[in-house]
Amino acid sequence: MHFSEDDLREALKRKDPGEGFTQRVMARVNQAKAEGTAQPATKKVNGKFLSWWMHRPVWAVAVVAMLLLAFGIGGYQYSEYRHAEENRIARAKQQQLQQEAEHARDQAIMALEIARAKLNHVLQHAQLQAEPNDKIRRQRL
Amino acid sequence: MEQTAAFEDDRLKQALTLSLSGDAEAFADLVREHQGMVFSIAYHFLQDRSLAEDLAQEVFLELFQSIDRIQSPAHLTYWLRKVTSNRCIDQGRKKHRRREMALEEAPEPATASDHADPMLLERLQQSLATLPEKQRLVVIMRFQEGLGRPRLQKFWKCR
Repeated sequence: MHFSEDDLREALKRKDPGEGFTQRVMARVNQAKAEGTAQPATKKVNGKFLSWWMHRPVWAVAVVAMLLLAFGIGGYQYSEYRHAEENRIARAKQQQLQQEAEHARDQAIMALEIARAKLNHVLQHAQLQAEPNDKIRRQRL
Repeated sequence: MEQTAAFEDDRLKQALTLSLSGDAEAFADLVREHQGMVFSIAYHFLQDRSLAEDLAQEVFLELFQSIDRIQSPAHLTYWLRKVTSNRCIDQGRKKHRRREMALEEAPEPATASDHADPMLLERLQQSLATLPEKQRLVVIMRFQEGLGRPRLQKFWKCR
């Protein structure tokens, strides 16, 4: 079935809500004012939120307990993680220091070896040069 | 004609300013001025007089709580249409658990329908009820409020 635009306009023309509508609205407004609910929208949301929880104390306690438990477990796990991480870093540092010390020791040993070899060489030369002078001194005596 | 419109606009501006300062009579004036629009949108959408009246009252209560955000009479009209539309959609969705009012409690219509063909009206309302909620609102805004296409698009974008 087709309707003309005039039919639609006629059917959907504004209707009056009836006598006393304004008074009923004002009564609700006054009632809301008296109850303190006629506040700006944001405050109303907060009020509703709080009153929802205030009417459900068991839920509120359960939620608080759950949150505390979750924070407790989370905090403990985090401290454990931090502790393990600190240990790992300390171990790594110690290992690095040990490696550096070993390297330094090896270098020192090598330097000593070189020094010993040079000293031996010098000593041998000195002995060879000293040997003929000793023979002459012994013959004079 | 233009003078009357300007006078009306001034009157509404004044009522709006006075409402902001807490003048109950000025707020009642704003309600009287817009009650037909708000109630009719709700009534045509929900097709239930008592639900429409409840919804319209809630819209005006919300207006009272948000009056400080209204900048001008034109903004007030726009705000009322928008809030009423949103509430209609919400109400339509929870219609199955709505509170039914006894017939005796329902307020009598102030004006009887003077439509030429009641059968046609009934069929038209039935057809309207079968439309998806957004389309139903567009038809109401178009034919009840007389919004043109650009204003309908703007209204719909801002929803």
